[in-house]
Amino acid sequence: MANLKLVTMSRWLILLGVFALGVWSQSSGLVDDFLFYWPDIRYLTGQHVWLTAVSGGLAILVAIPLGILLSRPAMSNYAEPLMQVLNVGTTIPTLAVLALSMSLLGIGTLPAVFGLFVATLLPITRNTYAGLKGVSPALLEAASGLGMSAFQRLIRVELPNALYVIFAGMRTALTINVGTVPLAFLIGAGGLGELIFTGIDLYDPLMMLAGAIPTAVLAVVVDAFIASLAFVVVPREVNPSRG
Amino acid sequence: MNKIRTLLTGLLALAVSTTVQAESIVVGGKNFTEQQILASMTAQYLEALEYDVEKKSGMGSAVLRQAQENGQIDLYWEYTGTSLINYNDITEELGPEATYKRVKELDKEKGLVWLEPSNANNTYAFAMRAKDAKERGIETLSDLAQAVNDGKELSFASNAEFYAREDGLRPLQQAYDFRFGRENIKRMDSGLVYNALRDGQVEVGLVFATDGRIKAFDFVVLEDNKQYFPAYALTPVVREETLEKHEKLDEQMNALSSLLDDQTMATLNARVDVDRQTIEKVARNFLKEHNLI
Repeated sequence: MANLKLVTMSRWLILLGVFALGVWSQSSGLVDDFLFYWPDIRYLTGQHVWLTAVSGGLAILVAIPLGILLSRPAMSNYAEPLMQVLNVGTTIPTLAVLALSMSLLGIGTLPAVFGLFVATLLPITRNTYAGLKGVSPALLEAASGLGMSAFQRLIRVELPNALYVIFAGMRTALTINVGTVPLAFLIGAGGLGELIFTGIDLYDPLMMLAGAIPTAVLAVVVDAFIASLAFVVVPREVNPSRG
Repeated sequence: MNKIRTLLTGLLALAVSTTVQAESIVVGGKNFTEQQILASMTAQYLEALEYDVEKKSGMGSAVLRQAQENGQIDLYWEYTGTSLINYNDITEELGPEATYKRVKELDKEKGLVWLEPSNANNTYAFAMRAKDAKERGIETLSDLAQAVNDGKELSFASNAEFYAREDGLRPLQQAYDFRFGRENIKRMDSGLVYNALRDGQVEVGLVFATDGRIKAFDFVVLEDNKQYFPAYALTPVVREETLEKHEKLDEQMNALSSLLDDQTMATLNARVDVDRQTIEKVARNFLKEHNLI
């Protein structure tokens, strides 16, 4: 009971703090300065979201089937080496991935989407694979015992049980994706990186923040969105977030 | 125990001696080819003169300037117009001589000394593919403004900095009374502008007048018929304290400065950007040609 009171109180304190911060920044003219960049922020956030949605969406469409394919028994000889290749892929800095895709596809949106796609693909594939491999053998045996075909087993037993881990992979990958999109500016694809990099070049911290804050907010929103999606989609019985 | 103590004392002595010795000249540079060549050239030149040199290249101009004011950078090559407009907020229109005199005066108060200016004037310029410009009948910035105002969709590639600078795109559009639409402005890394323009991904690109790729890629530079851009004479700028410590440094840097003009810079830049030679090699060869190392 006392614990609950403490929680409510600290919640109020935080809200009060945020309010005070708001008042302070308003009175110091910071908000007005910030609003100077509003048209830029709106335009660039649009581009930013578009880049994330397309590259992330494509990555999900490709990565999940790929992960499923790798986890099939027929692939068991190749899966591990292939996963190692993917692991190497993740260790290449994203900027290098973008630069490489630029040398293939020129400047602009196309190479940016491709580079981001590659960078997002790997974590999702790995989590899909790990999630499916992690399903308890007892469950699989029971499914076979019930006379399920391999496909039925995948759809009814393996996927529902792995879904939470797969969603965790998407969360990480897409949040990183949002945070990586600013680099796409360097190859002419726009996005909030324009404000961040120009702010760095001109030593204008406010301009930099005008790019960085919306980027951070976007990342949080994307993360929360997928988390709530997982909350709804993952079956109740195997969903840790539902307690 | 004693051994450890001796070891520690030894380490301490070593640390002290290296910090004393580390009073080197820090050479800075901005984040595009010309500046990287100059930073490398200066570093190699001063090393040959037996200075202890540290090179920090690849910064945005305002960051670099801030670092020099704070004493983290001792020396770098700055452009007169950049200092006048961006660091000293002077909007008056001044000729090349007057610009140099004014920044020399104003920066002196901040402990920065402008040495002799070179003959290289690396002004900003708008470029188009020669063929395209001819077909559209665009020769000057006024022609360009006219074309945009007539509703021609012309897209423009710019680096991050120019777009937001005080001598950059917004005031230029005001001076010539036109506007690229927001979605017609593509911003990217400085060096990529040339490739984007060459490959026809944009119609107009922001270039540096001394860039070797203008000729190599067959671009034309649009005439700045209203003289919007000030002079950008390339000049070594050194901290006063550094000059006091190294008496001959100003003479030595002036000798280097006197060797540079538009043509020289364009050639050096082209060696890196077109012929793909390394920056270090281009800088070293230049110094060797002039018997400086």
